[in-house]
Amino acid sequence: MTLSVELTPPPFDPELGAALPAITEMLPAVLSADLIPAMRAGSLMARVTDDELRGDGKFTVEQRQVPGLDGDPDISLLIVKPTTVAGTLGCLYYTHGGGMIIGDNRTGVADMLGWAEEFGLVVVSVEYRLAPETPHPGPINDCYAGLAWTAEHAAELGYEPGRLIVAGGSAGGGLTAALALMSRDNGGPALAGQMLICPMLDDRNDTFSSRQMAGRGIWDAAANDTGWTALLGAARGGPDVSPYAAPARETDLSGLPPAFIDVGSAETFRDEDVAYANRIWQAGGRAELHVWPGGFHGFDVLAPQAAISQEAKAARVRWLHRLLDL
Amino acid sequence: MKDLAVRLAALDADAGAALRVIAYFDGLVEARAGLQPIVRGAAVLADCPARLTDDERRVRIRVTAAGVSAWQDEAPQQNWMSATAGSATLRLERAGPAGPVEAMILERAASAARAVLDRTRGRAATADPASAELIVDASAPADVRLQAGRRLGLADSAYAIALPAEIRVLSGPVPDLPGRAGVGPTAAILDLPASWAAAKVALRFAAEGTDEDPGPQVVHAAELGSLALLAEVGDQSAAPDVKALEHASAAAPWMLTTLHTTAASISLRAAATALRVHHSTLQDRIIHAEQLLGWNVREPQGRLRLQLALALRRLRRHPR
Repeated sequence: MTLSVELTPPPFDPELGAALPAITEMLPAVLSADLIPAMRAGSLMARVTDDELRGDGKFTVEQRQVPGLDGDPDISLLIVKPTTVAGTLGCLYYTHGGGMIIGDNRTGVADMLGWAEEFGLVVVSVEYRLAPETPHPGPINDCYAGLAWTAEHAAELGYEPGRLIVAGGSAGGGLTAALALMSRDNGGPALAGQMLICPMLDDRNDTFSSRQMAGRGIWDAAANDTGWTALLGAARGGPDVSPYAAPARETDLSGLPPAFIDVGSAETFRDEDVAYANRIWQAGGRAELHVWPGGFHGFDVLAPQAAISQEAKAARVRWLHRLLDL
Repeated sequence: MKDLAVRLAALDADAGAALRVIAYFDGLVEARAGLQPIVRGAAVLADCPARLTDDERRVRIRVTAAGVSAWQDEAPQQNWMSATAGSATLRLERAGPAGPVEAMILERAASAARAVLDRTRGRAATADPASAELIVDASAPADVRLQAGRRLGLADSAYAIALPAEIRVLSGPVPDLPGRAGVGPTAAILDLPASWAAAKVALRFAAEGTDEDPGPQVVHAAELGSLALLAEVGDQSAAPDVKALEHASAAAPWMLTTLHTTAASISLRAAATALRVHHSTLQDRIIHAEQLLGWNVREPQGRLRLQLALALRRLRRHPR
């Protein structure tokens, strides 16, 4: 689609806009496929250590190898369990972000530990294989195999099966949405909720917000193209993309677990995420949608002290309370 | 991913740190961010709590290094790093002296905060003598006077204050004033020349508050009543009662203060308390004063006569 007028983007939140130059300094101006190895090696993705995760004995940390789907290689699950929580535990199955192309099962896990402590959740984080080396359906199949194992081993992991939720941000949000679709279609595992944090849902990459935010903020349309093309190759944007790769492709969004979806107003994913929530409602489902004004992609992680980041994080906690305080 | 605080906290030795600090606060100013984000920026970038206080404008904000707003009543410590932002003070809760990056954070945050305070809380009584003179000048055209009112940030109504060498025009409560002052009545902007005229009269009734010139330093025109008419009668230094007052004042340093307080108090007992002398001491002094003046100041008639004499003496000391 060609545009005859310059698109006016929504302004960044003042605090986020002020922080953006220092953040983009750490990122390549245009994320193209040839930069993927450098992105993976970069200091950006500093790995959290077991000791950091243990937090002076508040958690136990374990790495488990579990079988892949249908003869795929084994998958590594990082299992972080709270030691101080009394009463029934739940489980948060976490799928990390990184555009389908970077990150590992420690990426972003530290941010889940506050919830693990507050709500009594075993955190299970899956090491899925990355694109482009492993194209679709490898990554989502790894995620699903790990989820199936986690559900089957609820007793061993020590959590109540009815309190299993899936969560992830960005590419991990897209994979999480796909896990909810697969679980529904395969008749399990049963999920109590899906938390989709600024999820990457639509390989077509042609929404209004995708065009509006091109060249601006974090993870613009060019980076998004790099990620989706790594996952889908030539099929990206074509007629034959599976909803398990790009959940926005699913025509039937009924019968899904309650969804929490948040996104910034000033990011590529705004329109596809808003549309996803809207289609869940249209299908008679439950979804809570937050669009944070002036938020760029991942603002709450990249500028966690900003007032709006604090608000966004607090909204997730409130949703978890409503979901889990039964 | 590493967040901004981590990124910037590691930058003390980095020449780029100062540039990032500048860019951060420039970004806030450009986006017209409020005080909270500015103080939060200082706290997050310095990685310690920061607070902004402005007693005059009743502003107090404290933000922790995690960016959470959390006021604490404990007084700031003397050795904390700080910078002034007009009438406000920005502090980092860290013992000084400030290193180069901290100094840059303080300077940029204070400057950004000052701009917000001036924009959103009104300028703290910055003098604009030319506009104040215009607005009380009845011969100036009405639109010029209304314009001056907008420059001075006045509401629909305002009042003039006469200081010995200054005109002030304000809306809102009367501020603390330095020394003698006459306060005119509140009026519409175009009626401020009358408020100014009344303020000038009130100023003549204002005293230094010394033994030589006892009395209130700030006089409100609206409270003068018919006493204001005395300002019209010209020089009364030859009036017998004024001469008697001067004669009596030469007898003792306490004389004028004692007579003023007696005339201004509802009873001799109240006057004795105000003067911090024993009731009987005051009795003795009054009797002495009455002998010098030649009239009884404790009866209503004599009390009024004393009040008028004191007023005329003050008008003579503070001529037009």
